[in-house]
Amino acid sequence: MIRFVLRRVLTAIPIGFIVTLGVFALVFAMPGDPLRELAGDKPIPAAVLAAKRAQFHLDQPFIVQYLLSMKDIFTGNFGTTFAGADIAAQLRLRIPVTLKLTLLANAFQWTLGLLFGIYAGFRRNGLVDRSLLLVTLVLLAVPGLVAYFAAQYVFAVELKWFPVSGVLQGFPHSYLLPALVIGLLGFAGLARLMRTSIVETVNADFVKTARAKGLGEQRVLWKHILPNALLPVVTFIGLDLAGMFGGAIITESIFNLPGLGQFMFQAIKLKEGGVVVLLSTLAFVSFILINLAVDVLYGILDPRVRHV
Amino acid sequence: MRTGEVLLQVEDLSVEFDTPRGTVRAVDGVSWQVRAGETLAILGESGSGKSVSTQALTGILEMPPGRIVSGTAKYRGEDLIAMSVKERRKIVGDRITMVFQDSLSALNPVQSVGKQIAECYRVHRGMSRTDAMRRAAEMLDQVRIPAAAKRVNDYPHEFSGGMRQRVMLAMALALDPDVLIADEPTTALDVTVQAQILELIAELQAERDMGVVLITHDLGVVADVADNVVVMYAGHVVERAATAEALELPMHPYTEGLLGSMPSADLKGQELPTIPGTPPSLRAIPSGCAFRTRCKLAIEQCAHEVPPLLTVAPGRDAACIRRTGSALKEAVR
Repeated sequence: MIRFVLRRVLTAIPIGFIVTLGVFALVFAMPGDPLRELAGDKPIPAAVLAAKRAQFHLDQPFIVQYLLSMKDIFTGNFGTTFAGADIAAQLRLRIPVTLKLTLLANAFQWTLGLLFGIYAGFRRNGLVDRSLLLVTLVLLAVPGLVAYFAAQYVFAVELKWFPVSGVLQGFPHSYLLPALVIGLLGFAGLARLMRTSIVETVNADFVKTARAKGLGEQRVLWKHILPNALLPVVTFIGLDLAGMFGGAIITESIFNLPGLGQFMFQAIKLKEGGVVVLLSTLAFVSFILINLAVDVLYGILDPRVRHV
Repeated sequence: MRTGEVLLQVEDLSVEFDTPRGTVRAVDGVSWQVRAGETLAILGESGSGKSVSTQALTGILEMPPGRIVSGTAKYRGEDLIAMSVKERRKIVGDRITMVFQDSLSALNPVQSVGKQIAECYRVHRGMSRTDAMRRAAEMLDQVRIPAAAKRVNDYPHEFSGGMRQRVMLAMALALDPDVLIADEPTTALDVTVQAQILELIAELQAERDMGVVLITHDLGVVADVADNVVVMYAGHVVERAATAEALELPMHPYTEGLLGSMPSADLKGQELPTIPGTPPSLRAIPSGCAFRTRCKLAIEQCAHEVPPLLTVAPGRDAACIRRTGSALKEAVR
């Protein structure tokens, strides 16, 4: 087990470098001058510009810029943004916001997805199953952007059930609407996967064996069907959880939640390579950790893929 | 003939399936019985209804789409089909147990074999976890799995095919049942392992004076272990006899055909005879005798009505008007 974890972490290191280098190159390749953009219409003295460039290493060649950024990340010396904000302080403020949003959205998604998926799987072709099929089809067809704006307009602007944007009303009130929309959009896939997985497992031979042993339906369900039907769902949940950060960029920007996603969005707009790479590294590390956790969990659930 | 107590008696069992393209009758008026200490073989090709009949009477058939149309299945006089699910669960899994063909898919892949065997003791006997696990290890030892105490915590995929089938047997015999229904228990195994498993079943059967219903398509297996044989074709019982008699002088042309197509040393160098044609689809069973389209003896009359299962000699029944016409006219069903 420990060897397995170590191996996974070690293989993640070169991948991490390739990913961050790629991200940095993309930011570097974007047109425009970040410092001039920051100054807007105002003229900026050449001396100030040169000093700022030197401060953010913008006068260095690409690879040196990248290596300097990585050095800053690993020494924990995050510095400031182009606009002068302390990045470490920003992270301390923003990480909880994104975590709250992601966890709340996942709580909605898992509760709805597992509940409806399991129920529809066991009562297939029933009313719930049929409606679920229809509802998920609609949800899967709606693009996220449309859903976010529509929900914001209908439930916040018109009906005033939720705050329109920002986090002034605190947790959970300010997070409810975006989390609900993310959860609803994400639940469709999860519920369908859970349902299909159960329908497949119900017909498995070992379920017949369990029935032939004279076990009650509840026992067959909880001890034999579910532990097997959950296996593909665990993989899905892991991938989904890891991908949540990407979704946060859009949601946080639309609902004006000061989280990491919004930070990332601003950094990309300003061509702040250092910040983008820092956030990408953060996302990458969390992705690796979540995947590792899922693999370990999967090994516990399924002895056939247990790691030595 | 065995003279033990009749443990399980199936009478006039018919099972239908509702499919999108209409109803098909998979089992039609099947009757048989098994006594203590007896091995009854149900012989037939796939689709002949041999597995469906046992799954229907034990209540593990998916219903719907399956449906029991008629019949009784009496365990010591109590009808399994008429009783409630709760009552049946006290018998099926305890007094009547089953073994299936493919032990890899028939065992739960994410539970240790010990736990799966222990489950029988825990559910039916209310034993504690540790007691049940100890009994499970003893059971593994009884089916001759080496180092049983260690292997009790292993998972199904860690066993070989033969060993896995032993695990299945251990699970089925854990509660010392009266009747074991073995549904093609050796089909997925190679021949040497097959013989070992059959031998093991016979040994354990003798120890416990248990009735065994052996479902198979292999006439060789029947010849080796069965006391009596029921031959099924397209959902009907076409012949019922003591194994030795059926092998010596088959009554029904289908049994005769099966016997004729068995490879043996005498036929070395010759082409193996086969039964012409294929079994009928259950959607389009020929009128009258289902076998007539493949039968050498078929005459026009065979198409008129389903031949009844008639007694041709004591303990010998066959459903063929060409063979039973002159014999006793007494219908036994």
